[in-house]
Amino acid sequence: MILGDLLGTPVHDADGGRLGRVADARFVLDGAPHQLMAEPRLLGLVVSPHSVASFLGYERNGLTRPWLLARILRWRHRGSFLVLWEDISMVGPHSVRLRPGYTRYSTALEGGGQV
Amino acid sequence: MTSPSGPLPPVPRVSGRILDAQLHLMDRQVLDHDGVPVTTVDDLEVGGPDLDVEIPAGTAPPAITALLTGAVLGTRIFGGRPPSSRLIRIPWKDVAEVGVVVRLGVSGEPLDASWVERWVRDKIIARIPGGRHDPR
Repeated sequence: MILGDLLGTPVHDADGGRLGRVADARFVLDGAPHQLMAEPRLLGLVVSPHSVASFLGYERNGLTRPWLLARILRWRHRGSFLVLWEDISMVGPHSVRLRPGYTRYSTALEGGGQV
Repeated sequence: MTSPSGPLPPVPRVSGRILDAQLHLMDRQVLDHDGVPVTTVDDLEVGGPDLDVEIPAGTAPPAITALLTGAVLGTRIFGGRPPSSRLIRIPWKDVAEVGVVVRLGVSGEPLDASWVERWVRDKIIARIPGGRHDPR
């Protein structure tokens, strides 16, 4: 699967209610080890109810400057949440469906998400 | 599901480093092991899941198998993406480091991603008088 096809796809809960769109995919480097780096396995999807385009990840890190820009970007991504792979029931070309009783997690990155 | 009101719980701790695809990988420059620019990350190939098929509980999560690059300028402007067969793949096993740039652990010379540069060098630059040696 090409990841770009998944980004922006609408996300629905088990009852068909619309939750938002896939804004990003979070991976963790703990998959099968290779000679250079471990394989990044999918940890979950970032779902945003209002905006799919993230700008510099303000809503996921601790940046507060410039103040006005940070406020506006956080507001655009209000209500964003991370849903883990275990809570995804189906991925389709036009929709991602979650399992009943899925858990919303914070999208915040540890350490401010800097690389 | 958890209530959407109030602060959300943090993600359970994981042992590996976290990478958000759009934030940490997409559009990053790719350098080979000598620091020579190769391309940029235009997209990522993930090994699953099958589309429109129910994912059984306990299924292992899919992983990134390759960085994708190619002629995407037109589709960036007008929408869509090139057919999968037109995208050039750099296997994830060749990736050595992800930071401000993505570094490969291999030389960029034999990679398909740099064929345009090789073609221009061999077919055009090399035919210009003085084009076969370093500038002095």
